[in-house]
Amino acid sequence: MKPLTLRLKTKPPCLVDAAGLRPRALAGKAREDILRTALQGWNESFAVGDLFAVTGEDAGRIVLEGLDGSLIRVGAGLEDGELTVSGDAGHYAGEGMRGGTLVVRGQAGDYLGAEMRGGMVTVSGDAGAFVGSGRAGAMRGMTGGCIVVRGSAGDRAGDRMRRGLLLVEGSTGSYCAARMLAGTIVALGHVGREPGYLMRRGTIVLADARFEPLPTFNDNGRHDLLAIRLLLESLAQHGPAFRRLAKQRQFQRWLGDLGAEGKGEILVASG
Amino acid sequence: MSGLGIDGVAVEDTFAEAFGMRATRLIITAANPGWARHAATAATGFATSVIACGCEAGIETILSPRETPDGRPGVSILLFAMSSKDLQKQLERRAGQCVLTCPTTAAYGGIAEDLAQDWLGLGRSLRYFGDGFQISKLIGGKRFWRIPVMDGEFVCDEKVGLVKGIGGGNFLILAKDQQAALAAAERAVAAMHKVQNIILPFPGGVVRSGSKVGSKYKALLASTNDAYCPTLVGLTRSSLPAGVGAVLEIVIDGLDAESIRLAMHEGIHAACARGSERGVVAITAGNYGGKLGPHHFHLKDALA
Repeated sequence: MKPLTLRLKTKPPCLVDAAGLRPRALAGKAREDILRTALQGWNESFAVGDLFAVTGEDAGRIVLEGLDGSLIRVGAGLEDGELTVSGDAGHYAGEGMRGGTLVVRGQAGDYLGAEMRGGMVTVSGDAGAFVGSGRAGAMRGMTGGCIVVRGSAGDRAGDRMRRGLLLVEGSTGSYCAARMLAGTIVALGHVGREPGYLMRRGTIVLADARFEPLPTFNDNGRHDLLAIRLLLESLAQHGPAFRRLAKQRQFQRWLGDLGAEGKGEILVASG
Repeated sequence: MSGLGIDGVAVEDTFAEAFGMRATRLIITAANPGWARHAATAATGFATSVIACGCEAGIETILSPRETPDGRPGVSILLFAMSSKDLQKQLERRAGQCVLTCPTTAAYGGIAEDLAQDWLGLGRSLRYFGDGFQISKLIGGKRFWRIPVMDGEFVCDEKVGLVKGIGGGNFLILAKDQQAALAAAERAVAAMHKVQNIILPFPGGVVRSGSKVGSKYKALLASTNDAYCPTLVGLTRSSLPAGVGAVLEIVIDGLDAESIRLAMHEGIHAACARGSERGVVAITAGNYGGKLGPHHFHLKDALA
């Protein structure tokens, strides 16, 4: 069976919540029912058939084509199956995901994978601010799963992150891992100002040595740590850049943020 | 002694009687094979018999860096106890005192997740040694603990798998004298070490003090197997054929019956090779009439 494919044919006049376009939500539905499925907009709702041209049958593998950022919460709450997006996935993509795979062939907006609990998110382009974080006021960011951003991530990636894995191949904005509770962030490109601000626990691995630690981080010296070796070797599946990092043995280690619990670590590749 | 034979050595038509146990495998790695071996030897020390050691343990195999979770040289050990609770206690103590303490080591569970019938805490217990500085790390879906120690960090799995194993597979080598018995036992042990999923928990894999159940002394659960003691021939009801001057036993604990059977096959064949000219007289096995242990390993099956 061919994947259920929804091609955006009409740009909606406002942001539209696309969380309903999940494999589990559409499984077993007839084509007519899918076309009638309502997606909530700002002050009005839209039928899927009004916005999309629908082809294919397999609702376990959904493809959303031609997205331009006007849909938000794409893949939000995804439980299982595959959801592939071409174009701009908009804000809150993969928010609260519990399982399955979300692949974005293009850009993602702010709050990518916010508060996700499981599953795998891959973005081929850039992602906005607050990747893997929590929504405003939430106590915790992502608590499980894995987010891979092949491009760059905006500010506050991993804000209040509690568990899980966030990988960024490009640069990462300011305040990466701010208020991080635990979990792992690996950033291959340049990282912006004040990474790990008020982080309590967790691990940040930086491949780029251009890094200015906060004054509340203490120099722990250079180390070859077995756990970090295991961690980086487990990332080899995510591409050649991560395989190269896995060959690094020595890391400059900074411990902090001593303004918070101080059990976090920032490891900077150093040969 | 009736039955079968190999190279002129009589093999009695009897069986080894074995018992169900709880078992786990621990993979110990270190910066070089020597330190992995030191930790494994210490962790499996004083673990010959559950009668007084709390568990039975031994080195299963030496692992190359390609075979270990962290790409370093390693040793795989097996531990057996009579209950999950006993095994948990022994694992904690032995990993805590003998592996965590040994330079450069790390410890991982060696039972595949889909085979584990239950779980035993490893890092879950040992982490407290970190005094609050320990860090847990979820890597590839598995939780590890990083415990700060003076040479860096001790890394271990949070939990290790438990399986139902079998303890007490055995056979006895009856020879004309001590030298002949020892040489045959050494040949058997060398051959059996090539079999996976088993350990030979006694020193060098060999027991000279085979025991019977009970004793004339009330405090003892087991006492010398007088029927197989050559120095008691003529004094007790001896089971030794004429011409036997020494007996050695090999005890096998395994994760499954087939591995024990294979180990017995390898061991008996090695012990009996050119046996008559080397002074091996007979092979037999220890049992309690078949009423105590649910697992019976017939020597005739092991020879097939």
